[in-house]
Amino acid sequence: MKLFLRQYWCELVKLFAKKRTWMGFGAFLGLELLLVWLFQRPFMERVFRNDLERNAGFTGMSMVFEDYFRGLTLASWMIAWTMTLLGALFLSLVGGDSVSKEAEDGTLRMTLCRPVSRLRVLLVKYLTCVTYTFALTFFIGFSAIFIGWCWRGFGSMFVFVPNEQIFSAFSTGDALIRMAILLFFYSLSLCTITSLAFLFSCSDAKPAAATVMTLVVMLVDHILYLIPQFESIRPYFLNYRIATCLNVFRDTIPWGKMLIDYVALLGVNATFVIIGCGLFCRRDFKS
Amino acid sequence: MDAAVKEPALRLDNLRKNFGGRPALHGISFEVRRGEIFGLLGHNGAGKSTSLGILLGQVYPDSGEAYVNGVSVQRHRARALAKTGAIFEQPRFYDYLSGWRNLEIFTSYSAIVSKAALREVVEFVNLTHRIGDPVGTYSQGMRQRLGLAQALLPAPEVVLLDEPTNGLDPEGIAEMRLLIQRLNRERDITVLFCSHLLSEVEQLCDRVAILNQGRLLYTGRWQDLAPKGARFRLNAEPWETASRNVNGATIVEPGLIELEPGTDVADVVAKLVSAGVRVRAVEPVRQTLENLYLEQIEQLQKS
Repeated sequence: MKLFLRQYWCELVKLFAKKRTWMGFGAFLGLELLLVWLFQRPFMERVFRNDLERNAGFTGMSMVFEDYFRGLTLASWMIAWTMTLLGALFLSLVGGDSVSKEAEDGTLRMTLCRPVSRLRVLLVKYLTCVTYTFALTFFIGFSAIFIGWCWRGFGSMFVFVPNEQIFSAFSTGDALIRMAILLFFYSLSLCTITSLAFLFSCSDAKPAAATVMTLVVMLVDHILYLIPQFESIRPYFLNYRIATCLNVFRDTIPWGKMLIDYVALLGVNATFVIIGCGLFCRRDFKS
Repeated sequence: MDAAVKEPALRLDNLRKNFGGRPALHGISFEVRRGEIFGLLGHNGAGKSTSLGILLGQVYPDSGEAYVNGVSVQRHRARALAKTGAIFEQPRFYDYLSGWRNLEIFTSYSAIVSKAALREVVEFVNLTHRIGDPVGTYSQGMRQRLGLAQALLPAPEVVLLDEPTNGLDPEGIAEMRLLIQRLNRERDITVLFCSHLLSEVEQLCDRVAILNQGRLLYTGRWQDLAPKGARFRLNAEPWETASRNVNGATIVEPGLIELEPGTDVADVVAKLVSAGVRVRAVEPVRQTLENLYLEQIEQLQKS
């Protein structure tokens, strides 16, 4: 176990010593700042005001826009848009690079000279990718909350997700708890993208190809998921299960449904990783 | 005596390998004894790297097995490689990390190595003053030495070196040669040295295996490849007369003779002179591994 932890620590050192990793975090921070500035432009504010007032009217709730147009609401929008615009790309990049970049660079051959099983090497690398997924999601979440707080203080939060038919309002304390739960489950959901990228990375594909293939699969899945005619088979799409984390914003969290969705995602992730390991363990490594 | 100690350090047993239908190894077998520096020779594509890959469990043979210290690499890879180190012709590192951090990372896949052990090896390869710098700033020679350092951790009994002098300048080659000799002498490490630089193999190894197109041409002492009789380069005119009067020697090729056992070259020259041949020069031919290797390859092509 001590040796395993040492190997895991070394993988983390490799990942977090790369300038590119930190540039990624910087890119997210920059995007969040851009988004928070855009969200407060009058045209955006009008859209949000409309969303709030219309939905509050439907639900019969009495809500004053200014009370809810606060830091935590901005943070939730920042998280949603940042992850949509860049999250999948960065997770695909890191997952896609994890094995194939090292195979391409030749460092993997150096590692495989060691008396260690290929499965062990993959396990350590996958664990590192999962750690990165959690680190990135929590970084985005905490930085969004911090930026939102700097701009507009904490205050109350409203959440509106039309696709999932979610419209909820929370007090500050409740909102912070829901955000923390969201970040955990969002990280779990995003592990599916990481696992898919890892699978492609374990094959004989180039790092860029592994990233592109992951993005293509996720994009196609998302498009099919949104086609109304496919509504009856939506549970079979990855995005249906991934979006389950948004259920933490319902007034009453449907834990049973979330459990089923995460068991399904766990099965999918395990399948991706097992196929990846199978492909990797059959390969010959030669210059 | 421990059973493993009786075993050769390395044993390749009838290894066969095809890559996409193209045969890379045709059932090669040889052994490397404990404590020796053994040369694996062959031109590019001869099968050296494939053999090494199989020994390290990175390439799966179609049939046959490779053993390190008597343990099958194919069946018990981790146990077989527990006391083995390796470097490739271009050792690859994480360029953005220091040499020290690279060593920590690679050795973590073998065992937890103490800082003292790391320092000792770094000193051995003479990298102490630069070990804290990013590997991206290292010269080729320093990278090779770092490669050797990682192969020496933690305390291997066998080291596999694939073209370790590739890309080095003459000074770097000499330095690497010295390090390999010291490894063998001071640490009693068995070395399998793969190279196509025959002069390097000649200076380092007693025994060699010669591969050609995936087949084993020869295994044994390279000096034993030499013909039994001494060879002389003979500059004599007219050659036709000389060739008819070379008694006690055979003509290998025009201008090159091989003496029969017990024959003195002075007697051969005296007979030539008495036959009216003008002997301008008689020069003993030093048998180098290169000559012998090329001869072997030539013979194979003729056959």
